[in-house]
Amino acid sequence: MIDSILLVDDEDLFHLVFEDACSLLDISLSLKSLNSSDEAAKLFKRWLTGDNSDRPECVFVDLNIIGSSFDGIELIRKINFEYGNNVVIGIISSSDEPEEQAKALQAGAQFWIIKSDDIEPRLDEFRQDYESYKNRTAPFKIYK
Amino acid sequence: MIVFDKNSQQQLIDLNKSKNIALEGNIAKVIDADDNIEFKEYLDFCISKDKEIRRRRLEITKQVQIQNKELSELNLENQRIMTELQNTLTSVEESKSQIELQNRELTSWKEDNQRIGQELRESMIKSEQARIEAENAKHVAMNDLDLLQKKSQTELISVIVKVSLGVIITVGVITTIMYMISLYMNKDTQIIGSTWSNMLGILLTNAFSIIGTIMGVKYASKEN
Repeated sequence: MIDSILLVDDEDLFHLVFEDACSLLDISLSLKSLNSSDEAAKLFKRWLTGDNSDRPECVFVDLNIIGSSFDGIELIRKINFEYGNNVVIGIISSSDEPEEQAKALQAGAQFWIIKSDDIEPRLDEFRQDYESYKNRTAPFKIYK
Repeated sequence: MIVFDKNSQQQLIDLNKSKNIALEGNIAKVIDADDNIEFKEYLDFCISKDKEIRRRRLEITKQVQIQNKELSELNLENQRIMTELQNTLTSVEESKSQIELQNRELTSWKEDNQRIGQELRESMIKSEQARIEAENAKHVAMNDLDLLQKKSQTELISVIVKVSLGVIITVGVITTIMYMISLYMNKDTQIIGSTWSNMLGILLTNAFSIIGTIMGVKYASKEN
């Protein structure tokens, strides 16, 4: 089970879906949800310089976060290259664009989960692969 | 893991039995049953109930998500239609402006045409008047010419008449003088007498003929 998860997504309804799915699949007991990449960047800055006891173990980032200064790929790049690369991080998006996926990989994303009405099987598959992401042994994977 | 004392465990179990109030959420997953079978069953019940609630909520949330997605798509479609309508409206307004401009130009052309038509009519009237004046002038000129010709003819006739009368009178006078001299000098007058008689007859005849011709010409000229 993942200790704690951070979800960055502008869609409030998806927060509920993700929380319920994670609880039902016993993926994690602790889940924090944010609506913008700016808020996430602020938190990571704080965790880099100060108390990081509530720092998440795994981060799911939406690709296009409406109302934010930068998109999900840029947030992943910042987390990996500016705020310390010690979380499992990836994209969760309804997009399936290979160009975007290549950009995400370059930014340091470890996985890409495609959002759909039936998200649980993908999250379950991700849960099974999680340890290899944590150990940095798994290649970039797209969950369709 | 969190461990509750026996009393708290029993209170939670009793609360569930009496009021149907149980722990909800992930908190139940981090409580240790501490070998209390009844409390473990209670925790399993809480987790199971929570899962059931979450499952139902997840289904409802998904349905709402689908409806939201459909509404968003409808909204996008509406926005697209609104944009198209706006574009069409703009296009219609532009067309209307163009038509109004063309109408103004046409009205202007019509006014110009009417003005030109009026000017043409006035010019035609003037031209007609000028034609009538020219015809009148032509008639006057022709009359003048005719008069001039007649005058010339009359003068010519007058000259001819005068010369003819002069010749006639001169010849008559000369012949008469010669006849009178012959009579006075008792010369043979047979030839001169018949000559004078013939001459006078011819001259008188010619004189009357000339006068008749002149009178006829004058009468004819008056008739025209």
